[in-house]
Amino acid sequence: MNNAKADIFAAIAKARPAKTKDAVAIAAQANELAAAMREFRPPAEGDDLVDLFMARASSEKVGASIERVDALGALPGAVARYSRANGLGTDFSLQPDAGLERLDWGAMKPSREIAPDTILAVGIARSGVAETGTLVFHSDPEAPTLFAFLPDHHIVAIEAQKIRRWLEDYAIAEIGTVAPRNVNLVTGASGTTDIEGVLVRGAHGPRSLHIVIIGNAC
Amino acid sequence: MLDGNASNDQPKPRVGLFVTCLVDAMRPSIGFAALALLEAAGCKVDIPPRQTCCGQPAYNSGASDATAPLAKLVIEAFESYDYLVTPSGSCAAMIKVHYPELFAHDPAWLPRAQALAARTHELLSFLVDIRGFRPRGVSCASTATYHDSCSGLRELGIEAQPRALLGAVEGLEMRALEGHDACCGFGGTFCVKYSSISNAIVGEKAANVTAAGADLLLGGDLGCLMNMAGKLHRGGASTRVYHAAEIIAGMGDGPAIGEAVKP
Amino acid sequence: MSAPTGTFDERVAKALANPQLKIAMERTTGNARRKRAAAVEAWPHFNEARRIAAAIKDHVIDNYEHYLETFERNALASGAKVHWARDAQEACDIVVHLCLASGGKNVTRAKSMLGEEVGLPHALEAAGLHRVETDLAEHIIQLAGDPPSHIVWPAAHIAREEVAELFRRHHRDNSNSDDVPAMVASARRVLREEFMAADVGISGANFLVADTGAICTVTNEGNAELTTTLPRIHIVTAGIEKLVPSTEHALQLLRLLVRSATGADLTQYTTFHCGPKRVHDRDGPSEFHIVLVDNGRTRMLAEGQAEMLRCLRCGACMNHCVVYRQIGGHAYGGAYPGPMGSVLTPNLLGLAATRDLPSACTLNGQCRSVCPVDIPLPTLLRGWRDRSWREGLEPKKTRNFLGLWAFVAARPALYRLGITFALPIIRLFGSKGWIKRMPLADAWTSERDLIQPPARSFMAQYAAMKKGAKK
Repeated sequence: MNNAKADIFAAIAKARPAKTKDAVAIAAQANELAAAMREFRPPAEGDDLVDLFMARASSEKVGASIERVDALGALPGAVARYSRANGLGTDFSLQPDAGLERLDWGAMKPSREIAPDTILAVGIARSGVAETGTLVFHSDPEAPTLFAFLPDHHIVAIEAQKIRRWLEDYAIAEIGTVAPRNVNLVTGASGTTDIEGVLVRGAHGPRSLHIVIIGNAC
Repeated sequence: MLDGNASNDQPKPRVGLFVTCLVDAMRPSIGFAALALLEAAGCKVDIPPRQTCCGQPAYNSGASDATAPLAKLVIEAFESYDYLVTPSGSCAAMIKVHYPELFAHDPAWLPRAQALAARTHELLSFLVDIRGFRPRGVSCASTATYHDSCSGLRELGIEAQPRALLGAVEGLEMRALEGHDACCGFGGTFCVKYSSISNAIVGEKAANVTAAGADLLLGGDLGCLMNMAGKLHRGGASTRVYHAAEIIAGMGDGPAIGEAVKP
Repeated sequence: MSAPTGTFDERVAKALANPQLKIAMERTTGNARRKRAAAVEAWPHFNEARRIAAAIKDHVIDNYEHYLETFERNALASGAKVHWARDAQEACDIVVHLCLASGGKNVTRAKSMLGEEVGLPHALEAAGLHRVETDLAEHIIQLAGDPPSHIVWPAAHIAREEVAELFRRHHRDNSNSDDVPAMVASARRVLREEFMAADVGISGANFLVADTGAICTVTNEGNAELTTTLPRIHIVTAGIEKLVPSTEHALQLLRLLVRSATGADLTQYTTFHCGPKRVHDRDGPSEFHIVLVDNGRTRMLAEGQAEMLRCLRCGACMNHCVVYRQIGGHAYGGAYPGPMGSVLTPNLLGLAATRDLPSACTLNGQCRSVCPVDIPLPTLLRGWRDRSWREGLEPKKTRNFLGLWAFVAARPALYRLGITFALPIIRLFGSKGWIKRMPLADAWTSERDLIQPPARSFMAQYAAMKKGAKK
């Protein structure tokens, strides 16, 4: 369909001839605008990023539940407690992350597979954004996308020191790296207001998101 | 003469009052209220006789060619004054915002349109922003609610000024209007071209006005006021409707919009 | 998009005669207005951010060739295939061809208004494919056989009882409940099977990110990710105006888009999709196709409507539009309703067939004031009215009346004469200040009273007053 592309470009050139073809100049303009936008962000104050993250993620709009533990080794305990509190049994799907697989899961029975009827899955986020209470996942062999979308309950560990303040901080940190197939920014549990504006959790993605913050930021 | 806090600076600013076609034909008392207020605000007021319509009905219907002669008439009649003042947000916006657009490609008329635009004001905002005016000794012992007409609000930023003036009227108690900044459904020719939609919109507005529970409905644009008054009256509501200028000029004891007018 | 039924007036009459519609629309739009207002109040610099957002979009609009080239290059480098479509037919042909070539019949779709715009649902079915809408609202309207009535809540016009009835008829094993959570659970079960069985997943894109070649989808349900990760093939349909320079710009615009749409700070699921499955990925599609669609966008650029290309598809304009709130989305007869629909639809379906849309507007400007990218919607709508007038599309009655009005008003002496005679005549139709009925004024007096004019105009009274004062 080379004709289509050529026709579209010809139409653009005729309607709005480019003032410059200088890619460096164009990028500079774009960057100036992004920099200007950073001066006018919504409030996301507070020295303690973890506190800010927790406040945003547990707000009604976002609807995640949160707890803090000292170290990754405490994660299995948190998972067992959550499972007992919600009557979920001992079977769960564990994201094939090497660090998670090394943990001692005790009586809980991890599986490497995820299925459409999986009740509970446990994973680890790559980073977090405090401004919105968002968890960041990049797809890779140890982090399949479906772990964040198929289960009914999703427990996600995140290291406190991997929480950044702003959405831009995430984007800027990724410049120059190779983009993964999927970047999932997850902000709370799945929800819909499609029927008469009534909010219901668990439309397609997880109904419940439980975040376990590991350690301290520093 | 109406009393106000006008300074006695000489020479007095020369104001051309553009009464608007609706005020001229349907409710002259608004024109007289505007005249009294401007004089109380220390202005020398003329009413150029060669004025008819600002051209909005044609302009908003897409008939720019038909609009231009009307706009030229206005420019010619008013460009020699220090200010053009009009008791309507939509007419003021037409002259101030849209005349320059209308003549954007006319090198002869564009500078004249821009010059007039710079000196054009809606009445209530002119009294407050330019003249620093407040009425003195004007009273109206009633409750009132205020509808912000869209053009004045969104094209000219008129919101605080009417309230500042009404706040100086003794005994007048303002009540909040739910959806005070929602369109009433007049929209000029819209209310007759798409009358069933207009009716649905003004029906909701009338319900909100009634719910505000005030004696009076006030506003700054006669078109909106006629639309709302007509719907309220058809529905049997007892709310009395005035242009804010009439109350501020102390003419609230005269007949409200739709009440029997002496011939 | 299937052709609208009847004339605009007929569709409006039908909508206004339906009190259920008004209730349903007010629930959706009222909620949206309140939540947006709360979000804006919590962001003191919202207006400055809006202006910069408009500038970001304008910068892209000024540099479409550069950003399209960059996007295509980076998308290809990620392993994506990029296709170009000049119009709706080409877009549908490309997508249908890819689906048929897959060898499978099951196609899941995440919400894409562009897909609606080009008529993709119909094209897929005509090609014998099994199309399943996965966004809950799109699922509901698919069962009802209705077109969407809002760009964010396509089923805004459908009350819960109707949804319960639809699910009763079409879902296996549903609990027969009117309870909203139970209905959602039923849909989740039914659609999960479809997700797992899909051969092809089609999504739209909220953003096309030039410097990574990735596309961005935003949902609150998670259906976009299930639609696009499970099948072998992911096809994206997107208008060329969705371009942004970088991920950072996309996230900055999202701050405004999401608050303007639902009042949230960010959608639950904001996903950047970049190319097909990588070598050791455990899930993802093996093929990733991006169909870039013009369908009138370059024409808008050429015909003075470039600002419309800033649109983020947030729906704030229609949530605040007094006309949309009364007549609902179907009255507009196209994929896009409300103010943005009234600007876009004449471009898509031709002005002659759609001139009522830009005309049925009070030009009150509320839409512009809530638009997160400050699109001058009233100006664009008036622009269509200018064209309609120039092309002779306005009804004769209107042309004649306005022509007469303008003729007389341009001649003050004649105007004064006309007023002098008209006022006393019109007065005859009323009594005690009001006119209930008058020939030629039915449009006003059928539902409202008209005030009786005075016997003499202001100018006449003023002239007499001055004359009297001179004596």
